[in-house]
Amino acid sequence: MPLERIFRRQQLHDPGFVRLIFSDTLLAPLWMVARVYLGYQWLLAGWHKLYGDDRWIYVAGPDGLPLKSFWERSVAIPAPPGRPVISYDWYRDFLDFMLRHEWYQWFSWIIAIGEVTIGIALIIGVFTGFAALAGAFMNFNFLLAGSASTNPVLFIIALLVMFGWKVAGWIGVDRWLLPALGTPWEPGTAAREVGRGLHLPAVHREAATS
Amino acid sequence: MQRAVALGLGILAWIGVAAVAVASVNAWSGDNQVLAFLPIIGAVVVAWAVGEVVTARVFGEQEDR
Repeated sequence: MPLERIFRRQQLHDPGFVRLIFSDTLLAPLWMVARVYLGYQWLLAGWHKLYGDDRWIYVAGPDGLPLKSFWERSVAIPAPPGRPVISYDWYRDFLDFMLRHEWYQWFSWIIAIGEVTIGIALIIGVFTGFAALAGAFMNFNFLLAGSASTNPVLFIIALLVMFGWKVAGWIGVDRWLLPALGTPWEPGTAAREVGRGLHLPAVHREAATS
Repeated sequence: MQRAVALGLGILAWIGVAAVAVASVNAWSGDNQVLAFLPIIGAVVVAWAVGEVVTARVFGEQEDR
């Protein structure tokens, strides 16, 4: 049956060079430079929002006024032949909703603290894959809001670091953290210890002790 | 005791990297981005060396016994 052939299960293996790039600790120094550069860019962007004369939060008056201005510019629809900054109506409505409810006052805290946290996590290499994912998500939102700036380049680097999560934090805290915690499909040393201590259901206990 | 000291030293090393990163960005970000980036890379390499030389050796010895 053609349908059976189309949906027949088979596993396709990655070529050697893909495994070398994304799974081999030989290239950990390269990943470290990429990761630290990305983290440095996030820390740089977040630190100015958190601290200094131009900070977004903890200021006299309402917080997040620069964010408010950014949202106002983003949602504005110019007269023809001008084109709006945001291409997707649903995203413009989303920003407009937050703008009308003055959410910029607390959202600026999330952006400032989030950028600094992502930056530090990437620099020290702790939960590198998740940090890169969070960074990519923020880049994606800035791009949707019409701000190009450094976002396309940082987005690509974040995607690469995400794919290389196993080795990107090897010269970092993940070198110790990942073997200890493991993954949901392969519990680490610390997770197995916890699993032995807890009275887990049989299926989880088997996975935790294998 | 030896394990606790090695683990503490490793954790302190990486907290130090975070401190160096924040201090560098705060001090030099406006002037020269390379000037701020290099100490951070340097701190990462030092913390990695602490982990490989001290922490890995102590924990490796413990596991070998």
